[in-house]
Amino acid sequence: MRAKITTYQDRTLIPPCQAACPLHMRIREYVDLIAQGRIMEALKVIREDNPFPSICAHVCTHPCEEACRRGKVDKPVAIRALKRFAVEFGGDRMVEIEAETRRKEKVAVVGSGPAGMACAYYLRRLGYPVTIFEAHSEPGGMLRVGIPRYRLPREIVQREFDRLIRMGVELRLNTRVVSLDLLFEMGYQAVFVTIGAHQGLRLGIEGEEGPGVVDGATFLREVNLGLKPLLGEKVGVVGGGNVAIDAARTALRLGAKEVRVLYRRGPEEMPASEAEVQQAKEEGVQFDYLVAPLRIERERNKLKVICIRMKLGEPDSSGRRRPVPIEGSEFPLMLDTLIVAIGQAPQLPEDFRLRIGKGATIHVDPVSLATNRPGVFAGGDAVTGPATVVEALAVGKRAAFRIDDYLNHRYPVPEKEARPVVGDLLPETIAMIRKISRMDPPHLPPEVRVKEFVPVEMVYGWEEAIKEARRCLKCGAGAEIFSRDRCASCLTCLRVCPYHVPRLNGTGEVEIPADQCQACGICVAQCPAKVIILRKPQDRRQIAEELNHLARYGPSKPMMVGFCCQYGLYGTGVLSGLYREKKAGVYIIPVSCVGKVEAEHLLEAFRLGAEGVFVAGCGDQCSREDTALWLGRRIEKVRESLGEMGLEPERIKLFMPGEGRDLLEDLRDFSQKVAGLYLASLVRQEVKYDSCPTEAFGRDPTHDRPL
Amino acid sequence: MIVAQQKPLEEILRMIDPYERIMILGCGTCMTVCGAGGEREVAFLQKALEIAESREGEKHTFIPYTLKRQCDPEFLDLLTDRIEDVDAILSLGCGVGVQALAERFSDLPILPGVDTSFLGMAKEWGVWDERCAACGHCMLGETAGICPITRCAKGILNGPCAGPKGGKCEVDGERDCAWVLIYRRLERLGQLDKMRRFYPPRNFERPKRILRRT
Repeated sequence: MRAKITTYQDRTLIPPCQAACPLHMRIREYVDLIAQGRIMEALKVIREDNPFPSICAHVCTHPCEEACRRGKVDKPVAIRALKRFAVEFGGDRMVEIEAETRRKEKVAVVGSGPAGMACAYYLRRLGYPVTIFEAHSEPGGMLRVGIPRYRLPREIVQREFDRLIRMGVELRLNTRVVSLDLLFEMGYQAVFVTIGAHQGLRLGIEGEEGPGVVDGATFLREVNLGLKPLLGEKVGVVGGGNVAIDAARTALRLGAKEVRVLYRRGPEEMPASEAEVQQAKEEGVQFDYLVAPLRIERERNKLKVICIRMKLGEPDSSGRRRPVPIEGSEFPLMLDTLIVAIGQAPQLPEDFRLRIGKGATIHVDPVSLATNRPGVFAGGDAVTGPATVVEALAVGKRAAFRIDDYLNHRYPVPEKEARPVVGDLLPETIAMIRKISRMDPPHLPPEVRVKEFVPVEMVYGWEEAIKEARRCLKCGAGAEIFSRDRCASCLTCLRVCPYHVPRLNGTGEVEIPADQCQACGICVAQCPAKVIILRKPQDRRQIAEELNHLARYGPSKPMMVGFCCQYGLYGTGVLSGLYREKKAGVYIIPVSCVGKVEAEHLLEAFRLGAEGVFVAGCGDQCSREDTALWLGRRIEKVRESLGEMGLEPERIKLFMPGEGRDLLEDLRDFSQKVAGLYLASLVRQEVKYDSCPTEAFGRDPTHDRPL
Repeated sequence: MIVAQQKPLEEILRMIDPYERIMILGCGTCMTVCGAGGEREVAFLQKALEIAESREGEKHTFIPYTLKRQCDPEFLDLLTDRIEDVDAILSLGCGVGVQALAERFSDLPILPGVDTSFLGMAKEWGVWDERCAACGHCMLGETAGICPITRCAKGILNGPCAGPKGGKCEVDGERDCAWVLIYRRLERLGQLDKMRRFYPPRNFERPKRILRRT
């Protein structure tokens, strides 16, 4: 009767975080695993889509968090920090990637930045011999020479390269590629050009040439490669991007007494990440908004930078308001060093003979990533201009598959996601969702961090990480009516939903809008026609599968069955210890929220021979509404039924933290009571049938197979 | 909608005792809506019966199934292949469903699993109230849309009786007096003259068959 197709089919919608991620990481899934304390499984999910999660865990600009629908309720889930937790605690450094050479076509990757790394990684996975050419003495591109150490520790990048080398990637350092022809002559069949954008743009003002003025990219490169430029006491940084902030904070760490960022627009228009700006301010970087340098004069060893104040005019082509100078507002600024960080462009060797597009970038086909030269592909900052690490990883990954297409003479098929993306939350739904404040990982105090290049952000502890992960709304993994035909339109779902999501449409049909459903599972467990299912296959199968497992391999009787919430420390801490008590006859069925435990599940446990059944929920910790209330009603129903069957209603119990005493003590009391009832029933049976006590239950023998 | 409630487990166990293979048959219409015999109740009852039996050392085989509706012979035809080796059907349909099954499968014992209670409606989740007695002579137009037959404990047509206290029924203090409700609503509608009329004793004759073949 029930359609088979729904058993394993993933019917979830794509959550906005996944849609926003250039790598389309399965964020909802791994955050859910972290919330259950299943860190290693979370890391496995992360690794499926992201070749270098340790790098993203530190420096990702997390477009996912911008898209997170939790942000409409209170604040977005701290996805990047959670990934970092999974990476550090899930054993990422132990992971080894299998790669064997199955192809003879050699591929060259020019540039060892994130795009080149990702491309090499996936080409190796596809079986190609790969060589990465790197002009600098250290691999990693911008990860190494652009991003300061306090944001991305060197060991992280080094570890990823060690892993790449163990995968069989050949890495040639200090090797600047000047001609692509040479690579083809060397026998490479395809080339991926990912040379980044390292050339700092110039202000084009008087006095810019000369000592005391340096561009941001060069400054960061020098510092990151181990030089210690003398900056003097007062440093100015022109620009409002992430490079400007990195340069300002690096200058502080090099000993500058006063660092000020000059930005020609206002704070709202600044493209740098908000958190970075905040941290820079904590460290003492000053921000002068609506200020632009006009010309630079030199007085003895000092720079006299003549600046002008700006006001915002009409929006320009980028949609931001164009800054307009205010006449007569010039003022001088005395500085020792001026760092110009207003953008970068790629610096393409002439002999590459590649077609150049806008802003000195390489022109490529958007689908195939092919350039004008056959066999030459390009990606990363060299194509897009300065962008983010995750975008570079995504394009590198794509390039590997496009190069594979090219070498197999296949026409590239544009990737298309079959499932729709979740829409926006309605204000009515937002109002019903419980607000839980975001917990960011701790940071080093500003006084400490400006002295050294030590990492600023620390990792979550278990408790914080799990709490944070539980804030996820599980967008798109809600409930749906999968058999319209069997729906009796009884309106139970409308009446039980704590979020008032199910509704009647204009023609009188019941609908559960996927965009609004909060996936609590209450309607699924209450629907009298059993036509509502959860969209995620794991969610709808978990309890039934565990019960099947119990039927087959469960402990011999007498036993006790506990349905235990897997979320929060309650799930991972106290109750996980019970697993070990399997010998003692307690069998734990992990559930992702007790709201999903149906009355039949409880009865099934008794049917399988349980003498006592308990449900342990997480109480107030639950991020969903009313789950315990509805479970309580189901337990009441089962209790009544037990009474009718001649079983004591005390054989089923609900535990919630915060109520009563310590859970384990309560459990011990409960099991003692159940044991008493069991013994009493044995005596009764013996009197009644005068037969062997072990046979007294007369259960279906298939359920009594001992371990 | 027809509203029913499941029979006590003990009674069901007694009924099914003589048979070995029993189909528990749910009904996907009224019995699903009133939560007495939909697919979920079929599954719940099956497990409850199995547990109860295991304590008693008896053993039946249960075959759960739910039809969209039990009160039409065409739906029942869907069962023919499934009941070949069934000894009895425990129907969680209303009294109509049980009888329809009995008519359709003349050789098979059909057992009622629910007590059909009334025609009614849901007040909220899990609460159902009687609203109609199917008396065959509807006078709701005279009584402001409130049925004195079902909602007055005495079912009187010229109420109220002398019993109501504070608008509550003398039989059941929890229940609103239907005639007080009727009076209030007629007052709102400006039709209090209907209160002053006399309604003759009601005709207890009802049609047993309705023909509509034109």
